[in-house]
Amino acid sequence: MLFNSIEYLIFLPIVFIVYWLLKSNYKYQNILLLISSYVFYGWWDYRFLSLIIFSSFIDYFVGKKIEKANGKENKKRWLLVSLCSNLGLLAIFKYYNFFADSFASTMSTLGWEVNDLTLNIILPVGISFYTFQTLSYSIDIYREKIKSCKDIIAFFTFVSLFPQLVAGPIERASNLIPQIEKRRSLNSTLVKTGIFQIFIGLFRKVAIADNLGVYVDAAYANHEIHNGSTLLIATIFYAFQIYFDFSGYSDIAIGSAKLFGFKFNRNFNLPYFSKTLTEFWRKWHMSLSYWLRDYLYISLGGNRKGEILTYRNLLLTMLLGGLWHGSSWNFIIWGGIHGLFLSFEKFTFSKLKINTFNAFGFLYTFIVVLIAWVFFRAVDLNTAINILGKWISLEFGPIFIGDINAFVNGLLLAVTGILIDLKIFSSKTPLEDYGTKFSTIRLSVVVSVIILIICLFYSTAENFIYFQF
Amino acid sequence: MDSKTTKKLIKIVLLVLVISYTLDKLIFFGLNTISDKVMTGQSIGKLNQFLSVKDSVDILVFGNSRANHHVDMNLFGKKSYNMGMDGTGIAYSSTLINTLSKDKEQLVIVHIDTKNFFSKNYNGKDINGLKTKFNRNVYITDVLNKSNQIPFFQNIYYSINYNGKIIGIIKNFIRPGYNFLEYNGYDPLLVRDDQKEIRDLILAQKNNVDCESINEINSIALSYLQSIKDFVENSNKEFIFVTSPTFNDPCEKDNKLLAKTLRELGLTYLDRSNLFANKNDNDLWKDKTHLSKKGAESFSINLKKELQKVIN
Repeated sequence: MLFNSIEYLIFLPIVFIVYWLLKSNYKYQNILLLISSYVFYGWWDYRFLSLIIFSSFIDYFVGKKIEKANGKENKKRWLLVSLCSNLGLLAIFKYYNFFADSFASTMSTLGWEVNDLTLNIILPVGISFYTFQTLSYSIDIYREKIKSCKDIIAFFTFVSLFPQLVAGPIERASNLIPQIEKRRSLNSTLVKTGIFQIFIGLFRKVAIADNLGVYVDAAYANHEIHNGSTLLIATIFYAFQIYFDFSGYSDIAIGSAKLFGFKFNRNFNLPYFSKTLTEFWRKWHMSLSYWLRDYLYISLGGNRKGEILTYRNLLLTMLLGGLWHGSSWNFIIWGGIHGLFLSFEKFTFSKLKINTFNAFGFLYTFIVVLIAWVFFRAVDLNTAINILGKWISLEFGPIFIGDINAFVNGLLLAVTGILIDLKIFSSKTPLEDYGTKFSTIRLSVVVSVIILIICLFYSTAENFIYFQF
Repeated sequence: MDSKTTKKLIKIVLLVLVISYTLDKLIFFGLNTISDKVMTGQSIGKLNQFLSVKDSVDILVFGNSRANHHVDMNLFGKKSYNMGMDGTGIAYSSTLINTLSKDKEQLVIVHIDTKNFFSKNYNGKDINGLKTKFNRNVYITDVLNKSNQIPFFQNIYYSINYNGKIIGIIKNFIRPGYNFLEYNGYDPLLVRDDQKEIRDLILAQKNNVDCESINEINSIALSYLQSIKDFVENSNKEFIFVTSPTFNDPCEKDNKLLAKTLRELGLTYLDRSNLFANKNDNDLWKDKTHLSKKGAESFSINLKKELQKVIN
């Protein structure tokens, strides 16, 4: 079920009303949330519910075993069960074809012809997200940061809670399970901030991102015939398309959760207002970047094992972060670019004894992010190389506009979105709390205006970009 | 959730419903007032102009962007109008044809393409191009309702009628793109010298069309064709269906099947898909779909001769 669908518009209020009718017993509420979450996911393809249930079962029991096990070695053995099960599912459903294909290509390069090893596998929506969520649970118990969950319904609800199930934010067990295991309440602050965030998210997704996507899709689909200027504009549009698409999704998720009394962590914090790439990653897809830091970078040794190993760890973390997004070389290179520049920054800061760059840092960060987005958006490596080649060889010229209405709408709405971000940035109040600034009447007017902007400018896209991961 | 929060939530929901509904109607009626005065641009101006001239001209052309860019109305006299519109198909054309006066004697040229008729994905969505007239023109509203293409919310929030078109409407209201009194609906496509290289690259790309999968005419497209046929039988008009040249048309099967269908319906059809098949001249083309001004002029001269033969 998509957040921007009629189905969700009907689903959300029904679940909301029944949920608060059950307020006297939070365990009944949890059962309702679990069933609703499975309906939400099964709407896409009910067969893949079995994977979520399997993953939930594994981590529920492994969590208990890790906690009860005597000695580090025994705990580690049980942790390995969780790692192998979760990453095994991910490997089969997400990476098998990529590795099989890469293996066949390598063999072919070496002169050995290998039969086609790829399988017709559908990527289950959200598998990367809930796998990381359940993994963090097992690792946190292993690290003795949290206790195992005793209530199986609460745990299964933690894994599948519908607002964050298919594209995050990747919630930590330490934040979410305690909220599931106690009575929730809804106050007017949560109502206001939740409603405001849901509608801002919808505006970002269906008005801004989807309109920008029209031009981006047209330019990237025919990249061979477009010049560097057109592809540069398309890539800048894409930078804002993916930001408004994914942050819009996160806003709807966080806002929806608030209506059920849950507080999710922030996932975006105006990332393009960053002077360094390090700062960018503290503001972009925060639930993933902090996950990678805590469970991968630190596990690899972090910055505790000397300068060279710190750079290696950064690079490895970002390469694997890239691979998490998708099984293609483009995502690995995307991660590699980020890893290289993060290492460069770490090196520069340590040598120059500084913490950040000056105002030019905004431009530097945006350019690096933009170049990396080319690999993220391009359908294959050749496309990305072709686009970058046109920039390097200064193949610039008149800009292709295409559908003038779509172009102007995208541009106008993106500027509006950026101005809203600037307003929030200057107010020092995070978007998550911005709804409290409004009286009931002002909030109603703001939401009404957003509804009308959506009516006048909505564009249709198949999906949220991050569903493919 | 305590009763105070419940009351606040209900208050917000009710206020949003009332305010958004009221604002929507204000915007809708405001945009109606503006858009009725707009006679230029593809957002609504061309449709407005068509509705104002449709029963006074002698020759009308309907169809998609290929009709718009390929049929040069300057060759057909002053009392002619080209209602070809970007992104539209047979659903759009059929609906507009049915708004014509049945008694007025006219020559109606309907430009059709095989693409819509044999595509399994064609669902008549192009009729949405008329949504600016939803709840404003009785016949168009009725057809749109029957088409199941209107989102549920459009019955509540009328401003959806203007979705994606508002900038174009305001732009053309403030500054019309051309003098509509001298406009006959034909928009020639000029190819600048700096565009020729890209054009040649596009034309050199291979066509990936699976001709074998073309078997059955799309039922939705056929139903709109049937609707035109019903109109033809009850009107004083001459109808000619035309397909303009296609660049390196890879399939013959769809053309033959479409010709057979039209023949069976008793409709006159001129298939000129391969008119430029043997002319190895890229200057006739803007891209693989559209003719350049040069190509359109050449096709229109040919079409005029053919029409004279058919009518006589």
